[in-house]
Amino acid sequence: MTETCLSPAEAKAELARLTAPVSKQLRSAGMLAALSEMLWAAQAALVATALGGLVAPPASLSVPQAAIGFVFVMLLRAALDAAAQARANRAATTLVASERAQLLTEAARLDARATGMAPAELASLAGEKLALLGPYVSRFTPAMTRSRIVPLVFLALVAPLSWVVALIFMIAGPLIPVFMALIGMAAQQASERQMAHMGTLNGTLADRIAASADLRLLGAEARAGRELSIVFHILRARTMKVLTVAFLSSTVLELFSALGVALVAVYVGFNLLGEITWGSWGGQLHPASGIFLLMLAPNMFQPMRDLAAAWHDRASAFAVAGELKAAKAMLSEEGQIMGSGAAATALPPAALSWHGLALRPGPGAAPISLPDGQVAPGEAVAISGPSGAGKTTLIAALAGLIRPDAGEIRWGETALAEDSADAIRAGLGWLPQAPQFIAAPLSEAITLGRPGDLAAALKAAHAEEIIAALPEGLATPLGDIGGGVSGGEARRLMLARAHHAQAHLILADEPTADLDAETAQLVLAGLMALRDGGAALLIASHDPTVIAAMDRVIALEGNGHDAEDRT
Amino acid sequence: MIALFRLARRLSETDRTAFLRGLALMVTVLVMGVALLGLSGWFVTAAAAAGVAGVGVGFDFFRPSAGVRFLALGRAMARYGERLLTHDATLRALAGMRSAVYAGITRLPHEVQSRLRGAEALNRITSDIDALDGLMLRLVLPISAALAGLAAGTLAVWFLVTPAAAIALALIYALGGTLILAVTARIAHRPAAAAEAGLQSLRAASLDLMRNRADLAVAGALDRLTGVALEAVNAEETARNRLDDIERQSSSALSLTVGLAAAATLYLGGTAAEAGLISPARAAIGFFVALALAESLGALRRGLAEWGRMQGAAERVLRLTDTPPRPEPAVVPLPLPEKPLLNVTDLRHRRAGAQRDSFGPVSFTLARAETLLITGPSGVGKSTLLATLAGLTAPVSGQILLSGVPLADWSEELLRSWLTLVPQRSALMAGTVAENLSLALPEGQPLDEDLLWKVLEAVDLASTLRAREGLATQLGPHGSGLSGGQAKRLALARAVLRRPKVLMLDEPTEGLDAPTAKATLAGIRALLPDTGIIFVSHRSPDADLADRVLHLAE
Repeated sequence: MTETCLSPAEAKAELARLTAPVSKQLRSAGMLAALSEMLWAAQAALVATALGGLVAPPASLSVPQAAIGFVFVMLLRAALDAAAQARANRAATTLVASERAQLLTEAARLDARATGMAPAELASLAGEKLALLGPYVSRFTPAMTRSRIVPLVFLALVAPLSWVVALIFMIAGPLIPVFMALIGMAAQQASERQMAHMGTLNGTLADRIAASADLRLLGAEARAGRELSIVFHILRARTMKVLTVAFLSSTVLELFSALGVALVAVYVGFNLLGEITWGSWGGQLHPASGIFLLMLAPNMFQPMRDLAAAWHDRASAFAVAGELKAAKAMLSEEGQIMGSGAAATALPPAALSWHGLALRPGPGAAPISLPDGQVAPGEAVAISGPSGAGKTTLIAALAGLIRPDAGEIRWGETALAEDSADAIRAGLGWLPQAPQFIAAPLSEAITLGRPGDLAAALKAAHAEEIIAALPEGLATPLGDIGGGVSGGEARRLMLARAHHAQAHLILADEPTADLDAETAQLVLAGLMALRDGGAALLIASHDPTVIAAMDRVIALEGNGHDAEDRT
Repeated sequence: MIALFRLARRLSETDRTAFLRGLALMVTVLVMGVALLGLSGWFVTAAAAAGVAGVGVGFDFFRPSAGVRFLALGRAMARYGERLLTHDATLRALAGMRSAVYAGITRLPHEVQSRLRGAEALNRITSDIDALDGLMLRLVLPISAALAGLAAGTLAVWFLVTPAAAIALALIYALGGTLILAVTARIAHRPAAAAEAGLQSLRAASLDLMRNRADLAVAGALDRLTGVALEAVNAEETARNRLDDIERQSSSALSLTVGLAAAATLYLGGTAAEAGLISPARAAIGFFVALALAESLGALRRGLAEWGRMQGAAERVLRLTDTPPRPEPAVVPLPLPEKPLLNVTDLRHRRAGAQRDSFGPVSFTLARAETLLITGPSGVGKSTLLATLAGLTAPVSGQILLSGVPLADWSEELLRSWLTLVPQRSALMAGTVAENLSLALPEGQPLDEDLLWKVLEAVDLASTLRAREGLATQLGPHGSGLSGGQAKRLALARAVLRRPKVLMLDEPTEGLDAPTAKATLAGIRALLPDTGIIFVSHRSPDADLADRVLHLAE
């Protein structure tokens, strides 16, 4: 993927755009949380009045009344917090789920050429990376709202009692973000370096795990283990470096808030003793006011501390927003298949013909003009030509998996278009160049959910013995590239899939590439059996044996673009 | 639950002193916090009382105010030290756990290992270990510190306020905390497992969709499988919502516990003050101590939220670290030089659960300095035969005698020095060519560059590498940066460097043109004149390169 780092302003704008659909919920979550936090002032007032009454009777509020009131407000606050958190959490899960759904739906319909995003990148983006938006939405955004409202409200409550305390709040409060920003910048750099190292660590581990058999055969297992453990400890040391800076920033925050609280406590104490008579608008503080000020002080700084704790949620969300933006840009630039890829009723057998086609083999490549051609029902046709002549691209275009730059493809009288693609594809069978299986039991990987006689298809493709050698037979999951079967066996299973599809026309791309002569013969025989069953064949190949077995050859010349990269 | 206990024990065992010191600091931080609020509360209230009584001049304000400043600053510093110490100890323990997991993976049976390939398994392993960092930091240590802090707070309230207030404080916190912890642990497990499963199937479905979208579109199954992926998205969302609900409820319950404890101490202390038993300032201490103890629950909040996920991760990590050791023979018999190098009789292999043999029965003998070619159609079990001969997987019947001694009686170390196999898809690693090659050599020896070049010459790779950066040529992950044929020859060179007595090569000529293939095999033979070489190939011209051909038929 391309470089995805956004500037902070861009990232902020992107996140604002992403959270727009849930912004109402988030605003109300922030307000409810702020309200709950402000109610601490009510609790403080209750306790301060009762304690103040004990010190300087008469008490305007008895201790039991204050205690009951305290619990009552606590209940109210817990309810408010829960309501706020519920809104924030729901907003987060809704946002993540809808972004995931949109991403997957669009990625699934990318055309066959698209190379902008590796499958593992999509899985990681849709999986754990998008999940990182959750904490940003549910923790950081409400904390942001709170830190904007609560300190101001508390300041307004404190100022009428003592301008000194208000001044302490005003000085200690805004200084915190300044220091945070300074330390945060250092932390950012350290954490970027650590992220990069984390990537190499995972690569190193993946290399060792993939090579575990080789390492054992070389007697180098113990050595690889020791080397890895050194790498793990380097990672630990780097992580600690990041944490040291991060902890420093939160310590500075704590120091400021602790100093603020201590200053308030000492000032209030001295004022109550009568040692200091200034700062409280002329008179001495009432004991209740003094206790109230003391209780308010720690909570004055709490929203900022919460915000600092959620700061790294913001940093990860910025990174994800950048990647998501790049992914979406890629999805809208690369083409989409025709139709939706849904199941449909096949059209009756007819000739597949194409006329005046021009195709781009890759996103950046120049279009290749291809000779016109057609395959009649029951006919067997080879497409031959040098590498880069556009064989693979033509096969994909005929199945509606690539949109041509010019020209027309027809199934009988029906033109291949958005609304006809699914029905035309329903009459096709497909043998890709590299056999792949979905991560499901083999039976499902072969049928792909279509009805039909699986046993007969396996028999026709001589694939029964392959199934018999598998640990769980048809229930074996083969995984992505068919781990557990050889290349020839995988091709035969693909043939079984084509048999099972009962297609009118089989499109095959290099069905015998990389196979030994014996196995290639077996695969070719399987294709001819499909033809004997009434299906037409259109096979892209440069294998002379395959070409000789066809009725006719369509030769592509190639115009010098080596776009089909075969290694 | 048991898994979490076991894992916590293993983690804490790696550096018990560091964890204990970290815990001591954590308790210090908590106690200082409690003392700070308690002292401030007392100071302000006592100062107010003195001011009201008009005895402010005689009030010792110096020591309390110095105490407040000391506690405020000291607490922040202690917290910094505690965080560094506990995080360092935890990261050390996790690094050890990563090594233990890797060691467990190396001991897995060959068949299981080959299924572990790929980014998915790796992702699972790394994210599972990462998930466990909260176990010590946000559960074990905070719970221990909270108990110690609660004990200290209770004692202070007992002596400074009233025993009744102390008992109420201890009971409410202990009962509330235990109950919330127990209930959350019980109910969070299932949704956490569901959320994890949802995320995994979401990942799997994304991979399937993206990789197989062409196949799926032609089969008309793209729409349906997109639906499956969206179902996984919804399942994850539902489970996540449920987890959020649980977290919220336990958070509310924790707040309520704090509120009750504070109100109870306020009530008990306040009524005692009203009755004249203690001063109002002392009554204030109880209330402020109860409030300050709330901090001990803060760390637990996040720990509780992670509980379910940690539990699943702990189970999976322990399964890997618990992989049983490879069986090693008690007595290692001496090889018999007069016997043939390799003698195989009636060897059969079948994968667990399969209905058909992978190959067999196979019988053959390999003499020293002999080259044997094994041919046969794809899928006939050639690669599995080599893996069996190399002792990676066990046969169901038949016998393999290596220099007269049954293969199972060889110790792993001696076997690897005698025999090596270059698999069809051999794995190279990120690093230089020299680093890749040196894996085959004994550790700690200085690199003999001449020897490396001689071997590279033999596999016809020397000129290619000289044109680049020689032995310092850098390879990417999985050896990327070399073509398929070049990577193959580098793996061959690596095996030749071990000077094995039996060398087995799976499709060594694949991806090489005929003259290169011939030159490579001749080069290997020249370097290893006495080695018995077995190679698998399906190219007919390769028969000329062997002394004998063994054809495997279905």
